[in-house]
Amino acid sequence: MKIAVGDTIPPFEMESVTPERMKTVAAIFRDPFPVHWDRDATRAMGFEGRLLNQSPINLGYVLNMLMAWAGPTSVRRIRTEFPEPVFDGDTVRAGGRVVALSTDAGQTLAECEAWLERQDGVRSVAARAWVVLPESTD
Amino acid sequence: MIPSELAMRALVGHRFPGGTYRIEHWENFLLSEATGVAPLPDGLAHPAHLFHVAINGVGTSIRELFELAGSAPGAPVSIAYYDWQIHSPLREDEPYTLSGGITEFERSEQLGPSFRDTFTYEINLASMSGEPVAQVSFCWNFWRTSEDGAQT
Repeated sequence: MKIAVGDTIPPFEMESVTPERMKTVAAIFRDPFPVHWDRDATRAMGFEGRLLNQSPINLGYVLNMLMAWAGPTSVRRIRTEFPEPVFDGDTVRAGGRVVALSTDAGQTLAECEAWLERQDGVRSVAARAWVVLPESTD
Repeated sequence: MIPSELAMRALVGHRFPGGTYRIEHWENFLLSEATGVAPLPDGLAHPAHLFHVAINGVGTSIRELFELAGSAPGAPVSIAYYDWQIHSPLREDEPYTLSGGITEFERSEQLGPSFRDTFTYEINLASMSGEPVAQVSFCWNFWRTSEDGAQT
């Protein structure tokens, strides 16, 4: 795996964010915040009855992209902001690019800018991730 | 009634009870599936678990975090950031010990009819032998409307 600053990371796409998955996640998290499962609650908050996806799941799509690219144990740190929500029915795509490379204890660490974009082009996640790259096989 | 700034500031230094957490296969399966992928190989757990493992494993809950902030579960909350440092990968059926608390608080200036109370939480995961596994920091904004009436 030969990586250079400026390289883009192959995207990860979630074709449709579904209410069923949000409800499953709410149960796992023991999350009482009703915006993930009660359309009346989101209507009252001005979101027109659309359910809001959980932020750790939005982050999860970005993690899936990074792990598919560099391996399942590669992510060392990820710092994430969530400027806009993801709603049920949205299609989202995680993307990223390498912004710096460094070496630590014989491992190559890629600093990456990463994001999650909705189908309308709005970015719902803005992240900075540090990922250990697999050893070069060339 | 909006809690006073003094009461909220006094929460800095609050420690959660601490505890242990073991990610079971069923929850790893379901959470992985919720992010759109199959479970990772070799018993690895999806890193998205760090959110709920940290909160529930340290002996608190999302509900309690809202209550501590003087906020009802339906009240407006936004996320300032998450910052997760992963020292070693999470695994199914591996017991983790957790410790942490509230590390920072800030009340914003008035922003139109609202202001926000921002809390930072830091929770550490370690193996049962004490090796660091992850540090989970997250920062939530609890939005208040002055019409609700602030305590002085």
